[in-house]
Amino acid sequence: MPCVVSDPTDRRRRPSGWHRLIGETRESLSMALDSVVSHKLRSGLTLLGIMIGVFSIIVVMTVLRVLDTNAQESLSELGPHTFRVKRTPPFFFSSSKERRKVRAREPITWRQCREVIRRAKLPISIGVEEGFTNGTVRSEFAETNPDISLRGVTPEVFPARVWDLEDGRPIQDADVDSSRLVCVLSNGLAKKLFPHSEAVGDRITFDGLAYRVIGVLEKKGQMGGDEDSFVAVPISTGLQRYSNPWVSLGIVVQAAGEELYEETVEEVRGIMRVLRRTPLGEADDFEIVSNDSLMEQFREVTFAVRAGVSVISSVALLAAGIGIMNIMLISVTERTKEIGVRRAIGARKRMILTQFIVEAVILCLLGGIVGVVLGVSTGNILSFFFKTPVVLPFDWVAYGLGICTLVGVVFGAYPAFKAANIDPIDALRYE
Amino acid sequence: MRILHELGEGLRIALEAVRAHKLRSALATLGIVIGVFTVTLMATAIEGLNNAFTNSISAIGSDVLYIQRFSWGPTDEWWKIRARQPITMAQGKRLEERATMAEAVSMESRANETVKFEDRTASGVNVSGVLASSAQVHGVDLSDGRYLNEAEVDGARPVCILGATLSESLFPRGDGVGEWVAIGNARYQVIGVSARVGNFAFGDLDNQVTVPLTRLAGDFVSNPEVTLTVKVGTDAPMEEVQEELRWIMRAIRKVPLGEDDDFSINNQQSLLDTFGKFSAIAGSAGLFITGLSLFVGGIGIMNVMFVSVTERTQEIGVRKALGAKYRAILTQFLAEAATICVFGGLLALALAWGATQVTKQWLPATISPTIATLALSISATVGIIAGFLPAHRAARMKPVDALRSE
Repeated sequence: MPCVVSDPTDRRRRPSGWHRLIGETRESLSMALDSVVSHKLRSGLTLLGIMIGVFSIIVVMTVLRVLDTNAQESLSELGPHTFRVKRTPPFFFSSSKERRKVRAREPITWRQCREVIRRAKLPISIGVEEGFTNGTVRSEFAETNPDISLRGVTPEVFPARVWDLEDGRPIQDADVDSSRLVCVLSNGLAKKLFPHSEAVGDRITFDGLAYRVIGVLEKKGQMGGDEDSFVAVPISTGLQRYSNPWVSLGIVVQAAGEELYEETVEEVRGIMRVLRRTPLGEADDFEIVSNDSLMEQFREVTFAVRAGVSVISSVALLAAGIGIMNIMLISVTERTKEIGVRRAIGARKRMILTQFIVEAVILCLLGGIVGVVLGVSTGNILSFFFKTPVVLPFDWVAYGLGICTLVGVVFGAYPAFKAANIDPIDALRYE
Repeated sequence: MRILHELGEGLRIALEAVRAHKLRSALATLGIVIGVFTVTLMATAIEGLNNAFTNSISAIGSDVLYIQRFSWGPTDEWWKIRARQPITMAQGKRLEERATMAEAVSMESRANETVKFEDRTASGVNVSGVLASSAQVHGVDLSDGRYLNEAEVDGARPVCILGATLSESLFPRGDGVGEWVAIGNARYQVIGVSARVGNFAFGDLDNQVTVPLTRLAGDFVSNPEVTLTVKVGTDAPMEEVQEELRWIMRAIRKVPLGEDDDFSINNQQSLLDTFGKFSAIAGSAGLFITGLSLFVGGIGIMNVMFVSVTERTQEIGVRKALGAKYRAILTQFLAEAATICVFGGLLALALAWGATQVTKQWLPATISPTIATLALSISATVGIIAGFLPAHRAARMKPVDALRSE
């Protein structure tokens, strides 16, 4: 048992407070490690408990993070500092009365879009878009299911939605001005329609009309589904064929930068209110949607579940903490004599306290590290199923280890306190 | 007899050991209590959710088939079923004539109208058009008056039956039977008031008014799309009845051989199955996470038992030297672990019961005897498993070594 007796020949040199603290900590550490090693079985079981507790938290947090990333990816359809103005919100969860009110909103017309483009000064670009209809797309080689959406767009939509081209050119102002029968295909759709040849330059038919393919978009993200099965045509071409009094267009606005974002939103909101003659004091009769607002809504909806799961997952660590406390108490009782000897030859209460708390913390941290590794890897097996990139919740790893230390300190405190307050005489006499 | 005696002695020693180390035993119990408590609550919550769902769809009826244009389940390829033709009253009539195995066949259709009596108005009321045979299909529970009869349906008489909530709002004194109310622009005589049904997932059955289907077709919807409802009854198994109906419907709707059905036959089970999948996934995830805390509690017990064995090595040596067998020592330590666990399990059950009394307002769930038994047997098992290794180690010791140990 290593214990420090200061060398009598060295009595003149009084160590400074700082040195003493370092010395005490080092000594506590070596003693704690010794005792952990000497009771392998006991320490091992305690470690196992903590490990499972941490594993439970980390695996749940990793899974939540994976789901979150997944949702974020599928909801992020817009570029940076970009927002959309729409007639109706994308999700809806409120009462039927509200719903009726939203349904009664006037459509956003082409005239309103033109006015917004003319009046707004802050945005760097304003695009107009609308998903007109779904249907079957045919090429001379293949035919799709009738669930491909036909979207009318203006050239500005391309940068706003971060549509990069793999081949060909985007839709340009000239296409819109003269309502040309041209189209840009999403990547997956182009691969399906033209499996062995280049799509650009060829023709497709949609709803009885032939369009010339002028471009193919790059593959976007992991999300196959909706984002990868559409045909983009000039908005004027779409309006010519599918316009009716209820068609409501969407406006995509790109702000000049992060710092101008709020101002841009307010400018566009003001213009829209004027154009739609919304009375002062009334709520907007349109929606402004951004990636952030979508994510926020998603988080709000899932908040209760995530909070509940977080609480449930930390219960195991609580049970493990109680296990630590129990083992530390036993350890204190067993080592009463040792404590008595240390006290008798001059160890302070504080040193005993440090010794036992350090021991508890070491147990917790060792278990915690293993638990974090296991938890992160198990959680990421799920990300494999969701085909999302691997997630390393660094913040939760840090929290996890922090919580471990805290558990060690909290549940080690009582046994350590008990040890520190043993009367040296009683302790030496203890059998 | 020997075993019983050994068991008794083991238990007595165990209890003493527990009492001698109060703090240690209490903490070990606390670990188990936390584990069993969370697992029990989780199981109760899952059961509660399942119950809530089953209750909310119970009005569908477990042996009623619904022949409709679309399926209740999720469909991936909506474009394939989009073009299905509505089911008409004439088709329903023909099905009724030709079906032989079912107990009763009826049809229903719905509209939404405002119902008025004098100065009282109820808007957005579900108007349900039915046949007299609906009484057989769904069973009818009236609090006043009588149900529609066949003559009234055939003759399209303007008579109606009010739902409980609707009757309360139009006739607060409950004297509606015999009065004339206005449904939309048509006048109907109230002949009955149905008893309260309660919550239902797909609309409020208490806020509805039932009229003859023939009348509904005349007053509110011309050529209504109908749902054919079929009570399977006890004469034939559901699958056979369903198969018969399917082929009659295909014949009536002239579906060519080899083509898919252009209608769906729905029943309660398909909804329960869909929900069951979700609840099974959520439930197993929840039980896994809470099970971890029970596992941790078990490890705590095992640890304490190992310590206990080490401390009492000398005692074990003495007992063995005096002739105690492997089994006796094993029983002693197993009993100690099991005592702690079972006691913890009981405590956890009591706590969980208290907690469900609070959550009862939101979830229709109390701890069922099954869950209680399961929780207790799980905690006993945990005790035995966690206690076995330490007990085995103690029981295997050589008396000489044990006595010599310091």
